[in-house]
Amino acid sequence: MRPARANGWLAWPALALVALLVVPSTLMLVRLSLCQAARGAGFYLADSFTWDHFTRLVSPEGLPLVAFTVAFGLAVTAGVVPLAWLLAWPLRTSGGMGLILGLLALLAPRLAGMLGPLVALRVLLPRGVVSAWLAEIFLITPYAALVLLVHLRGIDWTVLQAARGLGARSWQAVARVGLPLAGPGLWLAGQLALGWGLGAFLGPDILAGPAGRTLATDLHHQAFDNSRWSMAAAEGVLLLVLVAAVYLVRPSGWTRGNHP
Amino acid sequence: MNGSVPCSAAEDAPPLLRLEGVSFSHGPREVLHAISLGLQGGAFTSLLGPSGSGKTTLLQILAGHWKPSRGKVLVDGADATHQPPEARGLGLVHQHLALFPHLTVERNVSFGLEVRGVPLVRALEKARATLELVALPADTWRRPPDRLSGGQRQRVAIARALAFGPRALLLDEPFTALDRGLRQRLGAELRRIQRETGVTTLLVTHDQQEALALSDTLVVLREGRLLQAGPPAELYQRPLDPWLAGFLGEANLVTTGRYLRADKGECLLVRPEELVPGDQPDCGDHTLHGPVREVVFRGADHLVTFEADGQVWKIALTGSAAPRPGEIMRAILPANAGWNVTRGCRP
Repeated sequence: MRPARANGWLAWPALALVALLVVPSTLMLVRLSLCQAARGAGFYLADSFTWDHFTRLVSPEGLPLVAFTVAFGLAVTAGVVPLAWLLAWPLRTSGGMGLILGLLALLAPRLAGMLGPLVALRVLLPRGVVSAWLAEIFLITPYAALVLLVHLRGIDWTVLQAARGLGARSWQAVARVGLPLAGPGLWLAGQLALGWGLGAFLGPDILAGPAGRTLATDLHHQAFDNSRWSMAAAEGVLLLVLVAAVYLVRPSGWTRGNHP
Repeated sequence: MNGSVPCSAAEDAPPLLRLEGVSFSHGPREVLHAISLGLQGGAFTSLLGPSGSGKTTLLQILAGHWKPSRGKVLVDGADATHQPPEARGLGLVHQHLALFPHLTVERNVSFGLEVRGVPLVRALEKARATLELVALPADTWRRPPDRLSGGQRQRVAIARALAFGPRALLLDEPFTALDRGLRQRLGAELRRIQRETGVTTLLVTHDQQEALALSDTLVVLREGRLLQAGPPAELYQRPLDPWLAGFLGEANLVTTGRYLRADKGECLLVRPEELVPGDQPDCGDHTLHGPVREVVFRGADHLVTFEADGQVWKIALTGSAAPRPGEIMRAILPANAGWNVTRGCRP
C-alpha cells in the first residue's frame, strides 16, 4: 500500500504569486544593479555592464554604510527579542478573554499603520540614532512577539511544573527548561527582527536623519534624490542578499521541543 | 461523609504527609471538601476515585503546585501549606510524564540533583544508578525521551522523580496511556522499586484493579469527599457505602429477602465469588435458583447474572462450563457470606 501523498499542490497558488511578484522584480533589480547609470532621462544604460556599484559598496567609502546597517539591524534585534519574550511569555498559557486582551494590546498600536506612530514618536523623541533604534523596536516587536507566541503555545508547559517539583526555583525552571524549549521560537523572532532591522527605513529616515543613514535610506536617496537608479539597485541587491542570508540560516536539528 | 481518616496500618508513627481539613475551590465550585488524611512513611498508598473526584487536585495541593482554599498541608510534621513545590522535596510523576524533550534521558534524571547544586559528574552517576534501579536499558540513556517507547518513558519519569531522594513519591495516573498488560507489568515494577527504596508512595489512579493489587492502603475519593480509607482487602470486603462496594468490584447488594441479616436502611453486600454454584447447602446456608439473564466471559471466569427470590444476583463461575441465558442457575449463599453495608442503602 502506498502512503498518502502530502497535499503539496495546496502551495501552488502561493508559489505562483511569489513567481509573479518576486521573481520579475528581483531580476529587474539585479539587471539594474549591473548596468551603468543612464545619462539624462531613463533608469539605466541599456546594453551596458559594470560591477562599479558593488565595488563602491565594499570600498572604504561604502563599507561604513554597510557596517552601520548591519550594526543597526543587530541592535534592533537585541532590543526586539527580549521584549518579544516578555510580551509572549505571559500569553503562552492564557486563554479566553486573557488571550484576546493580550493580543489586542500587542497588535492595537499596529492598527495605525507604520507611519502614524512614527509621527508621534518624532514629536516625543529627540532626533538621533537611539530614537530611530527605539522606533524600529516599537515597530517590529509585536510581530516578533506573535511569531514567538505561536511557538510557545505549541509547547506542553507542564514541564515547568515538573522542573519546580524536581527542586528547581522558578528562575532555574525558566532558564533550564523554558528558554531552551523556546529556543526555536526565539530564533525565528530574532530572524524576523534582524531581517526587518537590516532593511530599516522609516525609523532612521524620520527620527535619525543623516546621522542614521542605512542601506535602505541611502537607496531611497540615490533613487529619488540623485536619480542614480543603478546604485540604488546595487544597494537593494545587497540588502536582499543580507536578508536572505538571515532567513536561510537555521541551526540543524531544531524542531519544536527538540534541540541539539 | 467528609472527615478525618487515618489511613495506614502504622497508626502510632506520625504521618509523613498530612492533610488537615483541606478544601479547594475552582471559582464558585468546591472541588475538595475538608479532606483530612495522613500518609505513613514507607507505605504505598493509592488514591482511587472516578474522573472528576478531585484526585489530581489533591495531588497538586500535596506537591505544592496549587494552594488549598482552606486547611493545612504538613510534610514531616511541618506546615508546608505555603511552601513552593521545590521546598517540599516530593517527587512528582505527572500524568503525561512531562519529560524534558531537550535533554537526554540521563540528564532528565539528573535534573533534580543538578538544580540542587550537585556536580554534574556525581549527578550523572546517581542518575545512572537510578536508571538501573528502574531497569531501563543502558543503550537508551543518551537518547532524547521522544525516542523511547511508552513503557520506557514511564520508567524515566519514575527514575527522575526518585533520583534526588525525595521524601515521598507522588504519581498522577502515570500508566493511563498504556495497554493493560504493560500497565500491570509497570505496576508490579513500581511496587518492587518502592519496596527496594522504601520511599513513601502515593499513586493516583482510577483503575480499581491497579489500586487493589499494589497498595498497602487505599483511599477512595468521590465528588471531592473522602469516602473511606484502609487496607485494600478491608475496603473491598467491608465497604461502608454501596457506591464504593460497586466501584471496587462486582457486587450483589441485597435489600430484601429471607437471608437478609441487615437492619432497616442497611443492605447486605455479597461478592459474586462468595456465591457457590450447586444446590446442596450446609446448615444455615441459603439456596438460590432462578433463570439466567446474562453471561459474560471475563477470561478467568464467567460472570453469570440470574434472578432469584425477587433479586438480581451475580455469580462468578470458574471453568469452561457456564449456563446459557434462560437456563436455571442454582447457587448457595453461605451462612457466613456477606457484609452489612450500613449507610446509603435504598430499600
